Amino acid sequence: MNLTVNGKGAIVEGKDSLDVNALLVELKVEQPDYVTVELNGDILERENFAQTLVKDGDTVEFLYFMGGGSR
Amino acid sequence: MVDISRTYSFETLLIHGGLEPGPAGATTVPIVQSSSFAHATAEELEDIFRGRKIGQVYTRVGNPTTESLEKRLAILEGGQSAIATASGMAAITTAVMAIVRTGDEILSSSSLFGGTFSLFRDTLSSYGITARFVDPTDLAAVKEGINDKTRLIFLETIGNPKMDVPDIPAVAQLAREGGVPLMVDATVTTPYLATGKALGADIVVHSTSKFINGTGSAIGGAIVDMGRFNWQSPKFPHFEQFFKKYRGFAFTARVRKLIHKDFGACPAPMNSFLLSEGIETLALRMERHCSNALQLARFLQGQPQVAWVNYPGLTDNAYHQVAKRLYGDKFGGVLTFGLADKTAAFRFINGVKLARNLANIGDAKTLVIHPASTICADFGPEEKRLMGVGEELIRVSTGIENINDIIEDFRLSLEQL
Repeated sequence: MNLTVNGKGAIVEGKDSLDVNALLVELKVEQPDYVTVELNGDILERENFAQTLVKDGDTVEFLYFMGGGSR
Repeated sequence: MVDISRTYSFETLLIHGGLEPGPAGATTVPIVQSSSFAHATAEELEDIFRGRKIGQVYTRVGNPTTESLEKRLAILEGGQSAIATASGMAAITTAVMAIVRTGDEILSSSSLFGGTFSLFRDTLSSYGITARFVDPTDLAAVKEGINDKTRLIFLETIGNPKMDVPDIPAVAQLAREGGVPLMVDATVTTPYLATGKALGADIVVHSTSKFINGTGSAIGGAIVDMGRFNWQSPKFPHFEQFFKKYRGFAFTARVRKLIHKDFGACPAPMNSFLLSEGIETLALRMERHCSNALQLARFLQGQPQVAWVNYPGLTDNAYHQVAKRLYGDKFGGVLTFGLADKTAAFRFINGVKLARNLANIGDAKTLVIHPASTICADFGPEEKRLMGVGEELIRVSTGIENINDIIEDFRLSLEQL
């Protein structure tokens, strides 16, 4: 599937959809315990990561509250 | 980095928790003594500023050495995240100013460290923030003290220098019922006695200059967010944008992205290193601080020149039962005792040879001070009474020397009064 991740195109090979937890692993997102995930403009609740599916064409933003601060 | 999802004991977490391997296999955290951090492209730096990418920018806001310390402190308190500051007072100021605004009230313990008392009563009042002081061991007074304007309850785990021991889980329950966060200064106890998580605090602040540093070599502070308070509340409209974006991290995000960034009370990387070094021996030192303080308190109780001894480890102490319930058989390294008057107190301080006369606690060395004439000198009689500071009082931060030498030093000085 094709996604827009943090403003750039990203291709996830061999998958039509993925839950958010799996996507964090697939895209090797840094510090997944601290990341805020925005799907098509909506902030997701952390407890809903497992049930929320990301599909072809979706726009995903990974945001860090430590941005500009911590590594 | 050690996988903390495994249940390591506290002593092991002190040494391994949050510590990542350094360059060339270094086993201590590198001191990254750099004010700022360069990035390859304009796009990369933009992503960091927008929060899309993790990266360092400027040491006022974040630094690799300091970040390592922050991770370790968060783990030790059972917290969600931590922010290290330049001093304990910087931690309190930053954390409190992230929560309260003009017109708001703080319900505070009346038995505070003098610096905190001064901040609340003198400095914050000039910005329209009111602190109401109550006896934190009087739960009815705490409950009655919460009103529509209260936005924060603040207390110390063990009051310095009053040595009172509030029932923190009970106050935490009152804070929950009142819909306000409980901030706890755990400098005197450290997470060795009890973690912020176990006590039920929402935010823990520290002067890490004390027992966490342990050798009097650096000034530092810390704010630990336990991540348990729900900031989505009409009481906290200023958290709305942070809650919307960062949910459970709303407090940390507001502190890091706004208040701490703006106030700028960041620690020097060198001090973050020294504080990290201190963490590794915290349990060993605290064990000795506690056992030495208990033995010293018992010795002082038996001396004819000593009018009274205040240490929660003594079985006849008013706070012994609550301290035992919250902290087990560990009661910290600080105690106070009374002599006949100020003259006797000064003679005692001038007579000790081993103990140092200085304004600090938590050093490996035994420290003594006469608070009424020094750290509490700016306060009037009523405030001194609230803080439990009389002219005859001496505060002791019991060091980790051989207890026989500490007792002998005190015995000889008492004999020459």
